[in-house]
Amino acid sequence: MIDFWVQRFRKGIQTQNSWADEELETIKKSLKSEIGKKFSGSLAIRMVDSGSCNACEAECNALSNPYYDLERLGIRFVASPRHADILLVSGVVTFNMLPHLLDAYEQLPSPKWVITLGDCTQGTLFKDSFAIKGPVKEHLPVAYHIPGCPPTPDEIVRGFLGFLRSL
Amino acid sequence: MRFIARFAQELQDHFEIIDVFDSKIEKTPIDKDNPEIESIAQAYPAAVWFERKMHDDFGIKILNTFDNRPLIHHERFPNIHPMRKEFTHKHIDPVPFKPYHYEVIEGDGIFQVGVGPIHAGIIEPGHFHFSQEGESILHLEVRHFYKYRGIEKIVERKDPKDAWHIVERISGNESIAYQLAYLDLLRQASKQGENENIQKYGSILLELERIAHHLVDLGFIPNDAGFGAALAYSSMLAEDTRRVLKTLTNHRFGFGAIRGVARKFDQNALHSFLNDLEKKMDFFEKWIIEIPSLWDRLDTTGKLSQKKALKYSTLGVVARASGIHIDRREVPFYKEHGFSIQTQESGDVAARFKVRLQEVKNSIQIIRNLLDFQEDEVVLNAFEDGEYFAFTESSLGEVMLYLKIKDQKIDRFFARDPSFINWQALHLMMPKNIIADFPLINKSCDLSYAGSDL
Repeated sequence: MIDFWVQRFRKGIQTQNSWADEELETIKKSLKSEIGKKFSGSLAIRMVDSGSCNACEAECNALSNPYYDLERLGIRFVASPRHADILLVSGVVTFNMLPHLLDAYEQLPSPKWVITLGDCTQGTLFKDSFAIKGPVKEHLPVAYHIPGCPPTPDEIVRGFLGFLRSL
Repeated sequence: MRFIARFAQELQDHFEIIDVFDSKIEKTPIDKDNPEIESIAQAYPAAVWFERKMHDDFGIKILNTFDNRPLIHHERFPNIHPMRKEFTHKHIDPVPFKPYHYEVIEGDGIFQVGVGPIHAGIIEPGHFHFSQEGESILHLEVRHFYKYRGIEKIVERKDPKDAWHIVERISGNESIAYQLAYLDLLRQASKQGENENIQKYGSILLELERIAHHLVDLGFIPNDAGFGAALAYSSMLAEDTRRVLKTLTNHRFGFGAIRGVARKFDQNALHSFLNDLEKKMDFFEKWIIEIPSLWDRLDTTGKLSQKKALKYSTLGVVARASGIHIDRREVPFYKEHGFSIQTQESGDVAARFKVRLQEVKNSIQIIRNLLDFQEDEVVLNAFEDGEYFAFTESSLGEVMLYLKIKDQKIDRFFARDPSFINWQALHLMMPKNIIADFPLINKSCDLSYAGSDL
């Protein structure tokens, strides 16, 4: 603990992130203002994985690390679909997950939007498998797609902005 | 004798059951018209899922078993056996609902809590069924295969080289490990010897993957105990590691990185990253070790005794934290480059946390010792028909792949993720714990759903 305070004393308060990427910071500013305008400053997202390899989830988790820190902009990943504005779907839509995915969508209060995340949701990968029921758009009204395998946190942030601007 | 896997394959005129142990591989032929085999789950409890899967995949009847419920066949799954050669459908339709009977403890005041398949956070789907007596957990049943993608079937009849992009997506957190194991299979099949440059290059990426994955857990475990600052700190280091992985492989998870080619990269950048990470890890360790209220939550929570860990053939961090010395990196190549096995005795959440912490520090040393390699390539000639096994230590534990090549095409592919075994041991950590500690225990094991469901 003492080491921590020694460092804190030596370096002082550092509110400016030394690693901040200027372009990303601009995008985050626009994102915040769009969320302010269209969702009163608070956008709640419920993520459902319907058969991914977990890379998409890892990247969504990365969105809350200090580099991206999306919560600061008013974006929250919520625990229940009933608290959400948006259903964010990743994965190939497996036979076993399809009923649960549809159920989660039903639980979202209106107005609601579906965003698909990652190439898997387009149903092309693993397309020969009997055990998948993709793509997502065959089952749910998809408002926006964020491509990538997996999309990087950067691309997801840009994707959210793209979605908000499309409204 | 450690149990590794039990699976089946279809041959011309019979089925063959393959039992893999650490010291031997046994094959038992059984009749195709009346397929049945004795259960080995009494001696090796972890064989239960393998046997239930075998039944769903091939319709093989398991004799004298204590659990013959379906595993992959969920409530609306048709009664098909997709791993049989005659099954070539590209599409299946749901059938009327058949209820699944959970294993529960019943009695006065005992109630059931179902969680999932969709959980509260950003996490993969699976179901946990608790029998509760007030706050105390009496029993947990883990139920998965919501993410069943039929991977073993779709790679069949493919050219082995065309399956790379599928194998690397079995589990995103272990992508490099799966690619290395698959490269090992193809190398054996084309009768190539080990190549040290390729080995070094692959091991550097594997250790980076391990660092990235462990760092996320090192944040999430304290976070689930209410100490969020640790997550902020270590998720930043994990992000740094992913970015380094991207500069080395053009992909943050290393998809497409291992194809039998060793590429040179900027050593100075990697060196300065490792030095920086080492310093930050030292700081992180000193900082976190001195927070007594955190260790009050981690110590003695979710205990897995060494005896039970052995009985259930557990792997990876889960096994090593219970005092079992098991690590596929325990070979001369790794030992010469600074590998030392990290174990703890207490088998609780604290032990699993400490093992991860030590492994990150050890991986930094290993990478430093591996950096002197040359650009190289292993030439994958025509593949010879035969059966091949490969093992790799991912950040979760031992990955096992099996490949049978016939007429230059994949005839049978079988992948056993360490999670497939460890999930079966999760319920052993529950008694004497409260339901609020479940996320903590689950996160300390950090098992893969995608790798297990396949």
